Amino acid sequence: MNIVKLFQEIDHYLFGLILIIITLGLFTLASSDQSGAALVVSQIINIIIGITLMFAVILMDPKKLFFFAPFLYIASLFLLLFVVFFGYESHGAQRWINLGFLKFQPSEVIKLTTPLMLAWHYAKNDGDITLKQHLLALLIITIPFCLIFIQPDLGTALMISFVGLVITFVAGLPMKFISISFILFLLSSPLLWGILEPYQQKRIMTLFDPFSDALGSGYQTIQSMIALGSGGLIGKGWGNATQTYLDFLPESSTDFIFAVFSEEFGFLGVISALILYLLIFYRCMFMVTRMQDTFSRILSLGILMSLFFGLIINLGMISGILPIVGVPLPLFSYGGTSMVVSLISIGIIMTLYNNKTLIAN
Amino acid sequence: MQKGEFKYTFQKRLGVITVIISLLVIIISLRFFYLQIFQYDFYKLKASNNSIRTIPIEPARGLIFDRNDKVIAANQLTYNLELNKKSQYDLDELARKLTPIVKITRDDINKYQKILANDPFLDTVAIKTDLTDEEVAAFTANRYLYDDIQLVIRQKRFYSYAQITSHLVGHIHRINKADIKTLQANNKYQRYFASRHMGKTGIESSYEDVIHGYPGYKQIEVNAKNEIIQTLVTVPPIDGSNINLTIDIELQKIAFNAFKNKKGALVAIDVNNGEILAYVSQPGFDPNFFIDGINKDAWSKLNNAKSKPLLDRVIRGLYPPGSTLKPFVALAALENDIRKPPFKINDPGYFTMPNGSKTFNDWKKGGHGIVDMAEAIKVSCDTFFYGLGLELGIKRINQSLEQYFFGRKTGIDMHNERSGLLADEAWKKNKFNKPWYGGETAITAIGQGFTQVTPLQLAYATALIANPKLDQKPHLLLYSEKKALYKNNQPPPPVNEKNIKLIQDAMTDVTQDGGTAAFLGKDIAYKIAAKTGTAQVFSLKGQEYDEENLPERLKDHALFIAYAPAEQPKIALAVIVENGGHGGSTAGPIAKQVFDYYIKLNNF
Repeated sequence: MNIVKLFQEIDHYLFGLILIIITLGLFTLASSDQSGAALVVSQIINIIIGITLMFAVILMDPKKLFFFAPFLYIASLFLLLFVVFFGYESHGAQRWINLGFLKFQPSEVIKLTTPLMLAWHYAKNDGDITLKQHLLALLIITIPFCLIFIQPDLGTALMISFVGLVITFVAGLPMKFISISFILFLLSSPLLWGILEPYQQKRIMTLFDPFSDALGSGYQTIQSMIALGSGGLIGKGWGNATQTYLDFLPESSTDFIFAVFSEEFGFLGVISALILYLLIFYRCMFMVTRMQDTFSRILSLGILMSLFFGLIINLGMISGILPIVGVPLPLFSYGGTSMVVSLISIGIIMTLYNNKTLIAN
Repeated sequence: MQKGEFKYTFQKRLGVITVIISLLVIIISLRFFYLQIFQYDFYKLKASNNSIRTIPIEPARGLIFDRNDKVIAANQLTYNLELNKKSQYDLDELARKLTPIVKITRDDINKYQKILANDPFLDTVAIKTDLTDEEVAAFTANRYLYDDIQLVIRQKRFYSYAQITSHLVGHIHRINKADIKTLQANNKYQRYFASRHMGKTGIESSYEDVIHGYPGYKQIEVNAKNEIIQTLVTVPPIDGSNINLTIDIELQKIAFNAFKNKKGALVAIDVNNGEILAYVSQPGFDPNFFIDGINKDAWSKLNNAKSKPLLDRVIRGLYPPGSTLKPFVALAALENDIRKPPFKINDPGYFTMPNGSKTFNDWKKGGHGIVDMAEAIKVSCDTFFYGLGLELGIKRINQSLEQYFFGRKTGIDMHNERSGLLADEAWKKNKFNKPWYGGETAITAIGQGFTQVTPLQLAYATALIANPKLDQKPHLLLYSEKKALYKNNQPPPPVNEKNIKLIQDAMTDVTQDGGTAAFLGKDIAYKIAAKTGTAQVFSLKGQEYDEENLPERLKDHALFIAYAPAEQPKIALAVIVENGGHGGSTAGPIAKQVFDYYIKLNNF
């Protein structure tokens, strides 16, 4: 019986933590929702779809993942390509595919399929990993990076490359090579700066002094910092976030939802949420160390990195230490693609952990 | 690479990743700690500045009434079209767009720009004021075309009597940057944050503190689009107090119109309490033009006019008193036991200085014959006063005149009153570095020297003769909110009753047969005590004074002081008609019109 099997297969500890985080996100969304309950209802549907798919993944034979990895990767590259040419534009960037009944962001999907492809690549060449394999891995990272970069979506592009680099790092990329590439990156950074769109450059510059352009590019950062700072230790209470309900805070249901949470629940709320996230991280890390094979380990770690770089970039962004790059907070922000992909990711980690001995053989 | 080896590297590098992620989360927590705990106060203030706006509420300015509750300064509702100071406008384009509905002239645009440049704190500035009902209707009907223009209802000051009360009531004006500095220096700025206007001249200025009131405010919560979400606090303003002036506006009108097109001034005082009943300075101007800033051409026309309409002659016009000074010089002599009756002189029509250095003529060729002091006042004998002045000396003349408030402020409740001038040796030495001559004392005694007086000083001194017990300053405020608050005692000069009686009787005789204003006493039910005066504007240097053929501006000033009824004085006044020629004939009839009205009104 599948339900019995499902109940046994689910990691109760991890699933519990995730439900708490999702609930916190929903409550925050409810208070920031200006359109009645429409967003909350839609987010609940996203969550139900996500959890259903997560259960499906848990019940699935993980070998299928290995088998389909290259197809999924290539398919998502095509989606990205499609976005570049036919994408649905929103906020000055083409990130969406609109299928009429469904709108989704391929750049969220690629956060999952790139680690999948890398895991497949390293597992395929298990025991015979040379510099050539690492270089191939870098190519696997570079293609989606470029496609996302031209959308333009600097945040996701950087996240993909961070995740990819961490994967090559744990896959054993020699330290010598890492140091050399780091130096090369530093040397080429003026060139990279030149490639950035003016608005992206401005966002990075205003990071150093957001008040220098309080009504322009610094506006979002300042309003977000005001939301955070005015929350204080215990916050203004649920539904009392003036920055939010008076519309000063931009994107309060998506990228800046944690600013709403911080304003309402203060520093104590923030610390509690961060502890929950860290517990999820440590639990997943523990699961990764128990895995026996390269594919499982690299895929799980990659997925985990996707989630946690998302967390760090998002929180860095809303607290004014990173530029505004448009990265949602995993499991918290409003948004279907992000929520579904995050839940599927957690499902994958669970199924790989459950089948650790099976795959190793 | 061996499998075991990979596992080893993997576990080690996994540890590195765990540490890095944990560190990053800790850094994020520290950042939140810094913002939420350390900088809490800063951001809390920022959050409330974001969303809480304080909207000042202007207090209504107190109304100004005359003593019989007739409105002199009112507040009227007017419709303005106003532009938001923060927005950018193409004014020419805007004028073109508006003109079919409300005509915007070059003048309107200039005025708008002037206010915008000088105005330190307003959120909106009017592009067009005082819209007609038709314009309001047309604009309202087409409002959707002009969503960047606001139709605003404002209270506007209106001076019902325009020229008639121009100097008396004065006017308000738009608060400028200099005013704000002054207000801040005097710690009064918090009373003005809601106001666009403040008193500039006249009563509007001297009773500004009473009339202005205290502003209120409203705290509202707005959203990012500046839409009002809710009102948090409302503190209503305290409106300014309504005040009543001592002026009788009907009397004021009669006095003002009596001048016809002559220049000059008239002050009428209730001799029993110092209340000013009429306060006229001719010509006047329409103070309504000054409220929102008069345009440049109109202003320079007023300011440069030879007739000086902007000058408040009552308290700032300085005139030689002429013979109207004689009763006061005579009183000075009496108080000093000089030339008391039965002292007489035989007037040959001229006076020669004792050392023979100079001869002064009497106004009447051939002289007045034998005159005593009372007769000298009645016929205005110069010769009598030349000798009297010399004997009394400039020091004692001035001392006595000063007791009657010549050469110093009377203390009227108006700003910028002038002191006039009592000249003496020290003054002349200081001013011209020249010695004082005896002849100058002689002509001072007939009011022709350096002495300068204001019409108010003459009227107040006359009131003090009419009622030697008058112990109030001359004043214009009757009461505020119908509560008497003006009690400003000022002791009258000490005087011997017998002496004052002599002067009063002599002045009464001036309007009787043989007096210089005898014509005023004809066919009249009450008696007027008076003194005429003529002040030279132009020294004719030996030529005959020919009033008929002299240009208007060179004619003598006519002066007239009087009180009535002579036996039981109620009202005292001083009239000056500039270039009016002989005092009695032009200034006298003006005074009589005032007396006639007042006596009849009060059945004295």
